[in-house]
Amino acid sequence: MMAASSGVKVPRNFRLLEELEEGQKGVGDGTVSWGLEDDEDMTLTRWTGMIIGPARTNYENRIYSLKVECGPKYPEVPPTVRFVTKISMNGINNSNGMVDARSIPILAKWQNSYSIKVVLQELRRLMMSKENMKLPQPPEGQTYSN
Amino acid sequence: MAENSGTDPAVETNTEENAAASATIIKVTVKTPKDKEEIAIAEDSSVSQFKEEISKRFKAKQDQLVLIFAGKILKDGDTLGQHGIKDGLTVHLVIKTAQKSSSGSSQTSASSGPGPSQGNTAGTANPSPAGNLGTPQGSGPSPTPTQPPNILAGFGDLSGLSNLGMGSANFMELQQQMQRQLMSNPEMLSQIMENPLVQSMMSNPDLMRQMIVANPQMQQLMERNPEISHMLNNPELMRQTMELARNPAMMQEMMRNQDRALSNLESIPGGYNALRRMYTDIQEPMFSAAREQFGNNPFSALGGNTDNSGVQPSRTENREPLPNPWGPPDASAATTTTASGTATTTSSTTSSTTPSVSNPLGISSSSLGNGMFNSPGMQSLMQQISENPQLMQNMLSAPYMRTMMQSLSQNPDINPPPSGPAPAPAPTPTPAAGTNTAQQQLMQQMLQMFAGGNALTQTPEVRFQQQLEQLSAMGFINREANLQALIATGGDINAAIERLLGSQPS
Repeated sequence: MMAASSGVKVPRNFRLLEELEEGQKGVGDGTVSWGLEDDEDMTLTRWTGMIIGPARTNYENRIYSLKVECGPKYPEVPPTVRFVTKISMNGINNSNGMVDARSIPILAKWQNSYSIKVVLQELRRLMMSKENMKLPQPPEGQTYSN
Repeated sequence: MAENSGTDPAVETNTEENAAASATIIKVTVKTPKDKEEIAIAEDSSVSQFKEEISKRFKAKQDQLVLIFAGKILKDGDTLGQHGIKDGLTVHLVIKTAQKSSSGSSQTSASSGPGPSQGNTAGTANPSPAGNLGTPQGSGPSPTPTQPPNILAGFGDLSGLSNLGMGSANFMELQQQMQRQLMSNPEMLSQIMENPLVQSMMSNPDLMRQMIVANPQMQQLMERNPEISHMLNNPELMRQTMELARNPAMMQEMMRNQDRALSNLESIPGGYNALRRMYTDIQEPMFSAAREQFGNNPFSALGGNTDNSGVQPSRTENREPLPNPWGPPDASAATTTTASGTATTTSSTTSSTTPSVSNPLGISSSSLGNGMFNSPGMQSLMQQISENPQLMQNMLSAPYMRTMMQSLSQNPDINPPPSGPAPAPAPTPTPAAGTNTAQQQLMQQMLQMFAGGNALTQTPEVRFQQQLEQLSAMGFINREANLQALIATGGDINAAIERLLGSQPS
C-alpha cells in the first residue's frame, strides 16, 4: 500500500489511518505505542506516543509519553515531536521537551516512508546510545508544564 | 471514523466465548516487550478489571501493571470502550518493578518478568515474576561451583571398575571423585580422553545412552521433560555430543556460540520470555537434579533452537537449558551429587592375588571411601593407566578380572562377589532396583567392550547379535555385509544401515 518506492504518493489521510491501525494492533516489538490523541480528531493531526525506556539505561523502567503532530504536509515533512514526560537526552529541549529535528537523524533526513512508529523507535534507540544512556534523569513522573 | 478504519472487530459476532449474558467478550492481545498473551475480557469492563485478568495471567500485582494503548496510558477508572479497545487489538503492558536495580544479568534468561523490569537480578526480592525467576537463578549456579562434567560419569564407571577391580564402592561416589580428580587435573583429563579405550567407548552411542539413562536423576529429569529422552534417543545427536565431549576445545566453542546466540535471543521480543521459560523448565531442574553433561550437550548441539512465542519464529521450538552464563565448567558440569550412601567395599580380592597391580590397588583399598581417589596410589594408577592404555588392557584381560567383573555385573548390589574377603562396612545402597538392572546392563556392556577389546571371548557376531537381528528384520539379508557394517560402526545400527545403503548401488 505505502508504495513509496514505486513513486506513488499515498494521500496523507490514508497513511495516517494506516498508522492508526498499526498503533492499535501493536505492530512492532511492543516497546513503543502510538495512537490518536483524540479519537474524534478527523484531521488525524494530533497523536500521542509512548516509549518504554530500554533496559540497561537510565531510562529503564520508565514510560515516556510524547505528543506527535502530523501537519498537513505529512508524510512529506516530518512530524513535530514533543516529550511530555521529562527526560534528559541529547536533542530534546530541556525546558519544554521539544525534539530538535536537526539533532535526530531521521527527522533531519526525513523520508516519506518513515512513520510515527519509526520516529518513536528511533528515539528509543537513541536512548540506548552511549551518549544518552547514562545521562542522569529527572525523577520519574515529571512532565513538562506545557 | 478514524478508529475503526482498518479493524474489523466483529464484536457482535464474537459470542463464541462464554456467552456472558450482557457483555460480549473480546479478545485483546496484551503485549510486553518480551511476551504476548491473549486475554478474553468483557467489552464493557473497566481498565481495572482488565488489569485483574492481566495480573493473573502475567503473575504480577495489579498495581505494577501499566497499560498502554495507542500511545495513552490506561487509567484504572477508564473503561476499555473509552479508549476504543476492541476485539483483536493490542494493548501494551509494562510491568513495573518495585525496585529499579539495573541488573547485569541480562544475558541470563531467568532474570525478570517482561518489560523494562529486566533490572532484577536474583538478588532482589521482588513480587513480580522476576522474583520467582530470580531465585531459581540464584540457586541454580550456586550449587555448581565446580562440577566436573558428568561425561566422565561413564568413564568414572570404567575407571572405577578397572582400577579397583570391582569398583563396587558406591558407584556414584566413585564417579564423583573420579571426576573431581580429573577435573582438577586437566592434563589427565585430556590424556584420558585420548585413551583409545575411552574413545571407543564413547563412540558407542548405545552405551553412552545407557550410562546416562542409568543415572537416576537423569531418569527423573527425563520423566519430567520428555524432550530430553527424545534427544537421548537421537543417535545423531549423541554422536555429535560425544564428538564434542571428546574435544574440549570444540565444546568450549560450542558453548560460546550458544552463549552468543542466547544473548541475541534476549533482544527478540518474546525471546526473553522464551529464555526464561527455558530456564525454568529445563535448566533449573537440571541443575538441581544433578544432570549429566550429556543432558547439556545435546541441547547445545541443537544450537539455539528456541521459542515458539510466535513473535519471531526464527528458530524451532526447543528449550535449551542455559548452560553458560556461569562459565563453561559450570555449564558443562553436572553434579553427581548423589552421594547416596557410603563408599564401601574393598578391592581386596584383586589386591591379594596380583602383586603387579596390587600396589596401587592395595593402597587404594586401605583408603577407601572419600579419600580414595586422593590417595597417591590411585593417582599414580590413573596416570599409569592413561599413559599406557595397554596396561589397562592387560589388567582387564587377566582372567581373575574377568570373572570378577562378570560376577559384578550379575550382582545386583554391585557388591564384590561373596568370594572376596571384602568386609563391606555397609552394602552399597543402590538407588533402585530399576537402576540396578540398568547398571547391570551397563556393566555388561562395558564388560563386553573390554572383552571385545581383547578380542578373546566374544566375536563380533555374538556382540552384535541383537543388531544383526534387527538388520535382517529390516530387510538387510546379507549377514556378512551387516556384520562388517556393524563392526565398522561399532554396533551403531543407524550408522551401519547408512553404510550398507551407501555401498549398494541403488
